[in-house]
Amino acid sequence: MSIANISKILLMGIGNTVTVFAVTLFFAIPLGLVLSFISMSKIALFRAPVRAFVFVMRGTPLMLQLFFVCFGLPFLPYVGRYLVMDRFYAACLTFVLNYAAYFCEIFRGGLLSIDAGQYEAAKVLGLSKWQVRLKVVIPQMIKVVLPPVSNESITLVKDTALITTIGLTETLHYAKSLVNSTASVLPYGVAAVFYLLMTFVLTKLFEYLERKYAF
Amino acid sequence: MNIIHAVGVKKKFGGLEVLKGVDLSVSQGEVVAIIGPSGSGKSTLLRCLIELERIDEGSIYVGGRPLVENGVYVKEKEIKEIRRRMGMVFQHFNLFPHMTVWQNLLLAPLSVLKMDKKEAEDRATEVLSQVGLLEKKNELPKNLSGGQKQRVAIARALMMRPDILLFDEPTSALDPELTGEVLSVMQDLARNDATMVIVTHEMEFAKNVADRIIFMNEGVIALEGTPKEIFENTTHARLAAFLARWDAKEQEEGQANIG
Ligand SMILES: Nc1ncnc2c1ncn2[C@@H]1O[C@H](COP(=O)(O)OP(=O)(O)O)[C@@H](O)[C@H]1O
Ligand SMILES: [Mg+2]
Repeated sequence: MSIANISKILLMGIGNTVTVFAVTLFFAIPLGLVLSFISMSKIALFRAPVRAFVFVMRGTPLMLQLFFVCFGLPFLPYVGRYLVMDRFYAACLTFVLNYAAYFCEIFRGGLLSIDAGQYEAAKVLGLSKWQVRLKVVIPQMIKVVLPPVSNESITLVKDTALITTIGLTETLHYAKSLVNSTASVLPYGVAAVFYLLMTFVLTKLFEYLERKYAF
Repeated sequence: MNIIHAVGVKKKFGGLEVLKGVDLSVSQGEVVAIIGPSGSGKSTLLRCLIELERIDEGSIYVGGRPLVENGVYVKEKEIKEIRRRMGMVFQHFNLFPHMTVWQNLLLAPLSVLKMDKKEAEDRATEVLSQVGLLEKKNELPKNLSGGQKQRVAIARALMMRPDILLFDEPTSALDPELTGEVLSVMQDLARNDATMVIVTHEMEFAKNVADRIIFMNEGVIALEGTPKEIFENTTHARLAAFLARWDAKEQEEGQANIG
């Protein structure tokens, strides 16, 4: 089987790969940002649930979380039957929650890195809490968190392959069936190139952003 | 009228009493220098005036309005209005590093005062010229020297047209050869009748520019008076010891500069 034909088949899976990737980044970054601010709240009642959530999401395998949401939730007493979800939505939801926890920790580190003098200068100039966050804190945070966010995004590209475990098709799924049906290792190589291409694009994008935020 | 009037100010950090009953009045157009050994509460006093720290006891009035009366603070909204009449310049400049000089200057006028864009830009041009940095308006703070950064910080404070400017050791983080440019900007402000409270270790500057000098020691105002009264005082043991140490240090630095 030619590389072109292999690629054609793998491309059928790339839609899911890219969608899970994009949906996760799109929702997990803002959610992680909000969580990071809450996790730094002075009020323990706000802070504690977020810290607990982050602990659980980072402390258990993503695959377990996928199984839990997809196959486990429907067995919950009383509410279970309302929690039967389309598998693809279940996968997206799980990825968003899992990555939001990681982003929360990254952003928390970013928040901690901001000098107290920045808040004081902003306060003395009369900026409101929201103005301080949006105009002073977040832009400076971005610079600090770009490298770890880049790292996390590249991990995400590869983590998307996990959705095969709940019976969804994606790039790796097709590669595996092709290897079985053609008795050739080539489809794995082509799949690897696909992942490398996505990683390459991401790396370039983040290099650009890092240059832009080099203040 | 007194722009600042503070009475019986006490402030604790945990168990440590840092201000032990300070009275301070600053009148319109006055330049007050606060000197004293490290840890005597100079910064804390300044920070309390602009509500970066909260006092435990006493009262502070700004422009006749209470900020805190007998340890009870007014409402947050009023605190904001009162703070708006003051500007502060920090030892470490605290410029916003992600913004150009120009953006640093315009941020608060546009987003806090809702000043008209044109008006804000005219004001920015004016204050940047005043501190001699108009040609640096598009630079990021990281491309400026320490002295230039501090001049921008002063300009940023001036944008808000404060009734009073507070300086906390504005030259202490600077290389000795860069202090002059900052002090000369401050001297210009003094000449133009700005009201200023300046915590400083620059004794020459305090002597030449201040109308009044306050010597703080261990959380109280140990002595205050005109520069002449302070620097020619020989009877106050603590002050004499402090000034002697200062002279020794100056000598040493002088020697080092020559050697
Ligand atoms: N935020 C704080 N928490 C605890 N102690 C503080 C704090 N700020 C200042 N102090 C203490 O208060 C005392 C006075 O500090 P400060 O006002 O900075 O003195 P100065 O500016 O005269 O050197 C010092 O002993 C200092 O350690
Ligand atoms: Mg100090």
